[in-house]
Amino acid sequence: MADEDNPKEYRWETGYEKTWEAIKEDDDGFLQASVDDIVQRAKRKRQTLKHGSQKLGMMRHLYLLLDCSESMASQDLKPTRLICTLKLLEMFFDEFFDQNPISQIGIILMQNKRAERVSDLTGNCRKHTKVLGNLGKTNLSGEPSLQNGLEMALSSLKLLPSHASREILVIMGSLTTCDPGDITLTIDSLKSEGVRCSVIGLAAEVRVCRQLADQTNGIYNVILDDSHYKDLLFQQVNPPPAAVCLEASLIKMGFPHQPNNEGSEEPLTMCMCHVDSVDEGSKLTTGGYYCSQCFSKYCELPVECRVCGLTLVSAPHLARSYHHLFPAANYMEVDYSSQTNVCFSCQKPFGEGDKQVYNCPNCKKYFCLDCDIFVHETLHICPGCSTNPLTFQIAVTH
Amino acid sequence: MNIVLPEESQQDASSAEETSLLVIILDSNPGQKMLRESPHVLTHCVDSVIVFANTHLMQKVQNKLAIMACHSKSSQFIYPDQGKHGDIRQVDGQYEAFTAVEKITKKNLAKVLTSDGSAVITESLLAGAIAMALCYIARLQRTKPPGAKLNCRILVVTGSSCSTSQYMNYMNVFFTAQKQNVVIDVCALDQHLNLLQQGCDITNGLYLKVPQLQGLLQYMMWVFLPEPPIREKLVLPPPLKVDYRAACFCHRQLIDIGYVCSVCLSIFCKFSPICTTCHTVFKMPALPAVKPKKRKKM
Ligand SMILES: [Zn+2]
Ligand SMILES: [Zn+2]
Ligand SMILES: [Zn+2]
Ligand SMILES: [Zn+2]
Ligand SMILES: [Zn+2]
Repeated sequence: MADEDNPKEYRWETGYEKTWEAIKEDDDGFLQASVDDIVQRAKRKRQTLKHGSQKLGMMRHLYLLLDCSESMASQDLKPTRLICTLKLLEMFFDEFFDQNPISQIGIILMQNKRAERVSDLTGNCRKHTKVLGNLGKTNLSGEPSLQNGLEMALSSLKLLPSHASREILVIMGSLTTCDPGDITLTIDSLKSEGVRCSVIGLAAEVRVCRQLADQTNGIYNVILDDSHYKDLLFQQVNPPPAAVCLEASLIKMGFPHQPNNEGSEEPLTMCMCHVDSVDEGSKLTTGGYYCSQCFSKYCELPVECRVCGLTLVSAPHLARSYHHLFPAANYMEVDYSSQTNVCFSCQKPFGEGDKQVYNCPNCKKYFCLDCDIFVHETLHICPGCSTNPLTFQIAVTH
Repeated sequence: MNIVLPEESQQDASSAEETSLLVIILDSNPGQKMLRESPHVLTHCVDSVIVFANTHLMQKVQNKLAIMACHSKSSQFIYPDQGKHGDIRQVDGQYEAFTAVEKITKKNLAKVLTSDGSAVITESLLAGAIAMALCYIARLQRTKPPGAKLNCRILVVTGSSCSTSQYMNYMNVFFTAQKQNVVIDVCALDQHLNLLQQGCDITNGLYLKVPQLQGLLQYMMWVFLPEPPIREKLVLPPPLKVDYRAACFCHRQLIDIGYVCSVCLSIFCKFSPICTTCHTVFKMPALPAVKPKKRKKM
């Protein structure tokens, strides 16, 4: 995974689908330019499939079911399936909590026909990273039991309030599962509870996994190689469409701010988050965030107040996920016929090499392909719209 | 919330390939309060910015510069521009590149200022200008020679006030800058800018409200000229505490406790039965501690 930024590794972008037919030599007899082009176009295509304004499950509660059976010791992923998985999961957790600020993840292991919960549902990313660190030393043994894992996750997800989006992500190395009963009954109850189950297979397609994902509106994929694995995992970062039975509600939250008492020394106080932690006990410190309701102190946000139960967040935490709901409008591909000399945003001069340019339906500005991708993948606002008094708020009011 | 590891000091061997790009966004909107009261202040600001920009170029041969004007109805790059400038010659022995920066900037700024003279728009769309700057930076990062290192920062110079109507746009550009390792510095000329201050905090940039406009150039040289890695070693104005409270979507007021829509995460200061953003209808809040009795079937 050393050169992640190398665009050439993205063979999977087009899913190995007859890409060779699309590769043509360019005028100078080079192939690379056309390969890059395929990659770029695949990105664009995926982007245009996303639609804004549909209802999403933003308050996600995701159980990760991790296969820790013998099959995870296989070395078809380097160095082993398990180590590769743990590395990718670490990146995944960072990105997940970055994009889903008030969501929670729990981890369940499947081995020796049993399920073991190693981490309860929590929004604390560092706790998970710690758990992952210890998992590297797990003894991989026996067969997994998918049914036991699913049942354990379901029993916990069942208890959540009705506005919580419930999900299970299974990472399955084994081609078999050793279940105590009829797994189709488990799948039925997952379905009726509105739990969305997605599966990433590390070996080959397994019928019961396909059935599980199909029945619960999840996604099932089998990886091709490690970069494809990463892509599949990172698809789970985007919040899924809200389940039909998901109820909406207004949730009371606190937005703590640090009081600005200039001049006077800030008092030393204890925080609530480390109060019962064994390895790093609570110390007297200045600073921190005070619960807006009961004034208990916490070192970090977001957190659920241990005293009064209020969820404490900062406004930018919430703002990080607004782009899922208010994406920039998709640009239209038009043939270039000297509409403009330069790309509106990056100032790249358009020339003979540019057969297509991209036009924003709201502000009518023209952009290059690179900017189209950058705007829709990363920036999430149109530079043309946001510099024009008539259009800068368009995303908010649609 | 944003931990960026300090750059390992690699100033020795690799410094030859390191380039610093500075993008200056100059708020030239005649609708900003400061300029409505005394329009001539703009000349002073432009002069200071040009001297500052040239000092940046002087520090290292490889240093790069771009200047943007954020105007009432549009934002655009005024330096460098697409034109050819064969006619710029040395003046009084001044290095040509510096003369070019001054000439081109002033010429293009004059064009911008005369372009729209109609209705006064008080709001400067700075978030949009930053979005353009980020696209420009992303292009230079894509096209730089392999192995080269390009450190980028954006300096916003403005006398406008902060408007919450651009809140979402601001947050998007701040998070993008943070992801792309672009530092955002803000030089506030007139009013305190809470939202832009959050951007500085998120991207590890510096925020300064200039106490006296006459001293603008000195303040800029002191605070904004040093490269971000060097800043840690300097004595700079102490960081202010940033107010990260939420502004409710209904009244745009800062609140300590609010209600968040579980579907779209919009923030409201009071309970309402329907979300004005995503039009979801909510069930009424459960009354605490009163469990509904199960009705027996008749
Ligand atoms: Zn509390
Ligand atoms: Zn462009
Ligand atoms: Zn647009
Ligand atoms: Zn309100
Ligand atoms: Zn809503």
